[in-house]
Amino acid sequence: MASRQLRLIVNGEEHSVPCVDSETLLTVLRERLQLTGTKLGCGRGECGACTVLVDGRLAYSCLTLAAGCESTPITTVEGLGSAQALHPLQQAFIEHDALQCGFCTPGQLMAGVALLRDTAHPTPTQIRVAMSGNLCRCGTYAAIERAICAVAERSA
Amino acid sequence: MSRRFVATKVEVEGREEIKIVERPDLEPAPWDEHAALSVVGQRVPRVDAPEKVTGQARYTADVQRPAMLHAEFVRARVASGKVTRLDCSRALALPGVRGVITAEDVQTISHQGAPLFDTTIHWAGQPIAALCADTPDIARHACALVEVDIETSPHAVTIEDALGPSAPAVRPSGNTPKGQPRIASRGDAPAARAAADVVVTREYRTPCVLHTAIETHGAAAEWTGDALTVWESTQGIFQVRKDVARAFKLPLNRVRVVKDYMGGGFGAKNYAAAHTYAAVALARKLGRPVRCLVDREGEQTDTGNRPATRCHVTLGARRDGTLVSIECDATIAYGYSGWLASPAKIFHELYECPNVHTSETFVFLNAGAMDSFRAPGHTEGAFALECAMDALARELGIDPLDLRRRNYAPADQEKRRPYSAKHLDRCYAEGAERFGWTQRRVDAAESREHARRLRRGVGMASQIWPAGGGPPAYATVRINPDGTVDVLTGTQDLGTGSRTVFAQIAAESLGARLTDVRTVLGDTERTPYAGNSWGSMTTASVGPAVRVAALQARARVLEAAAELLESDVAQLELSESSVRVRDGDRSMTLAQIGRKLGDVMIIGEGSRGANPQDTAISAFAAQFAEVEVDVETGIVRVLHVTSAHDSGRIINPTLAESQLVGGIIQGLGYAVFEERVLDVATGRHLNPNTHDYKIPTIADIPVIDAFFVQSADPVANHTGARGVAEAPIIPTAPAIANAVADALGVEIAEIPLTPWRVLDALTGR
Ligand code: FES
Ligand code: FES
Repeated sequence: MASRQLRLIVNGEEHSVPCVDSETLLTVLRERLQLTGTKLGCGRGECGACTVLVDGRLAYSCLTLAAGCESTPITTVEGLGSAQALHPLQQAFIEHDALQCGFCTPGQLMAGVALLRDTAHPTPTQIRVAMSGNLCRCGTYAAIERAICAVAERSA
Repeated sequence: MSRRFVATKVEVEGREEIKIVERPDLEPAPWDEHAALSVVGQRVPRVDAPEKVTGQARYTADVQRPAMLHAEFVRARVASGKVTRLDCSRALALPGVRGVITAEDVQTISHQGAPLFDTTIHWAGQPIAALCADTPDIARHACALVEVDIETSPHAVTIEDALGPSAPAVRPSGNTPKGQPRIASRGDAPAARAAADVVVTREYRTPCVLHTAIETHGAAAEWTGDALTVWESTQGIFQVRKDVARAFKLPLNRVRVVKDYMGGGFGAKNYAAAHTYAAVALARKLGRPVRCLVDREGEQTDTGNRPATRCHVTLGARRDGTLVSIECDATIAYGYSGWLASPAKIFHELYECPNVHTSETFVFLNAGAMDSFRAPGHTEGAFALECAMDALARELGIDPLDLRRRNYAPADQEKRRPYSAKHLDRCYAEGAERFGWTQRRVDAAESREHARRLRRGVGMASQIWPAGGGPPAYATVRINPDGTVDVLTGTQDLGTGSRTVFAQIAAESLGARLTDVRTVLGDTERTPYAGNSWGSMTTASVGPAVRVAALQARARVLEAAAELLESDVAQLELSESSVRVRDGDRSMTLAQIGRKLGDVMIIGEGSRGANPQDTAISAFAAQFAEVEVDVETGIVRVLHVTSAHDSGRIINPTLAESQLVGGIIQGLGYAVFEERVLDVATGRHLNPNTHDYKIPTIADIPVIDAFFVQSADPVANHTGARGVAEAPIIPTAPAIANAVADALGVEIAEIPLTPWRVLDALTGR
């Protein structure tokens, strides 16, 4: 398998990483760039734990080939905010206890951020449609919905 | 002087164990209902939430070690047979592949009841070898190049096949464990039934369901000389240490097990298993760190499940609803191994009844092994018992809630002992009130008069679950020179919030600000022993140890402060991380005291004392559900669930309510969606993924109102806390099924309530 250098722009930072053509964006983010906030839950596009933004659009990074993301801006959970300067949705997740084990949380946050960017005041149905690609086995859904609503309200 | 080490009974997930415990140096007065507490009981945010929302929390899969390799499994594709050829030469020739292990490398180690990598195949999905490579992708590719020939033999993946006249031998010792059926009895149920005014008989079936934690099982192993470190996604670091030390014949002080964060367990992550042993064995063989993560298919197939059950139930009652007999004959489709989690036990516990008879037959199958899954046994049994109670209520024309209240059990009849506290009556009352039970029943019935297609119904169920926790559990509390506080205890946080609640208990007991306190857990080398996080035991087991450790640290720091403030310990008060002299204006913060003391450390140690003898300690709940059933499509939508719980003192209501909601959502999955499907002809698992195996999504969840009735339980232990996390899943499926029966006027005695099952019931098939 041919390995080559790939130019990736992740969270505004440019990286040149070795990559095999068959490797997924998830693998490259986690194993090469050590951006381990993005999680592997199924590797089959079913759970949403690996959700990131590629060129502003939601993507399951486990189904996205890294080679196809050359020079395309990518945002992962590490790019949303830091412990010192949290994104409003990260803050709302904490306030509403929208996480238990936290394993699905990065993916939930990415999906929620994309929703709020496109729809400032989503209806409950819109939230449920937009977030239904992100599984949570701990059962934080109701709190996630509240957290998203809280951010929407604040941006009145 | 009383003896320091004593034997005491401890209940784990319904099993009772005798353990030797050491009496703590200090048994503080319990926090009763008058205790003035300022941190315990507060809705403080989860202390590790910032790490989790920023992606900084490190889970096992996130562990990176220099030169680390990656292992993947080769698994059997048939349910029964004998490996006649295993040729790894093509796989090993692949660039980047570093090695393989098979049965020869791991003799004497077992996995799910069979030798690891056994060449006799007992279930489809059984691991037969592990390949190790530079990347997970290469390892996976290599696995596909391994050539395996298996001579198949007949298998049994259903109860009928395993118990039939020409059944293949699933196990050489027979297809049921020794001592079957397991009988438990009090009074004379058949005689009481014969004299009963009313008798209802039903047969209920529950499916095999899968834990489906979003983080799969995984481990990383690294050897340094003869010492081993294992990072493992586990509910029991000390259990994994014991398992690994035994498997590799290592002294315990050469094995360190670390679990920082984990992505859910739900009962499936209590022991070391194939992935642990593969990582350790390959790391030793290849001289490099090795990580082994189970893939989703392996997770769904080979890491445990809640077994399917068939329960034949007969209830006998007087006209007024008083139960006179309870009988249950249960058959449990067990998988290749597991432990005998009892669906019958709840039949003996939940209602007052002098005559109870249960019989259980566990059946081995050529299928993935059973393992604890959130309230094992009770969840399966509650479906049968609580649906049968509704059938009885219908037969008698009594409100199902009234029927349950009429048969209230004030004491533990099985063992003839009192409960430390029981407020199920308040759960019934407050739950019914908040749900609007009476009105909703009327409204649902009225709506059915004109709704042709969407039919509403309401139902309820209740539960009991052992929740006392117990010894041994230890904690250390250290005050650092800057006044910050470390709480060290060898427990785990599965996402339950234990980091937070132990920080709260320590802050409260010590008199420190919560922000000054940090809980360190999940590391066998840094923390004193605490047991597995199972059986809803963690808070009630570890909390008292943390309290004692904090009190001891408090006593020491007050002695130091007395010296520094030239006062008397009796004159000192410690709160908000500051020591004040009563009736004076002198004070010192913990930080100031620490600076003065320099590197003199204040250390407190605590342990968990014995449980009160001859006392049952349980969690109780009443749950109410409203559903809407589309009679044309058969789709069941759960609209509303109210759940009222009694778990003693709640250390952090926000986090505890999150546990309740999570349990209810898992219960909803059990009721409506989830079912492992095995192909009877081939024995293979047909839905080993999260697409075909449906867990609830955000679009499926009802309005959930889950809460605790206010209480303190000074008898159970001196923090008053009982277990929380398993109780909520137990009554959900029967509450929903009872609501569906109310909606349709037809009982469906089998879950999940999938559309086709609903439509079949409606057309009388
Ligand atoms: S890991 Fe990508 S969707 Fe599950
Ligand atoms: S918080 Fe555990 S899977 Fe969502």
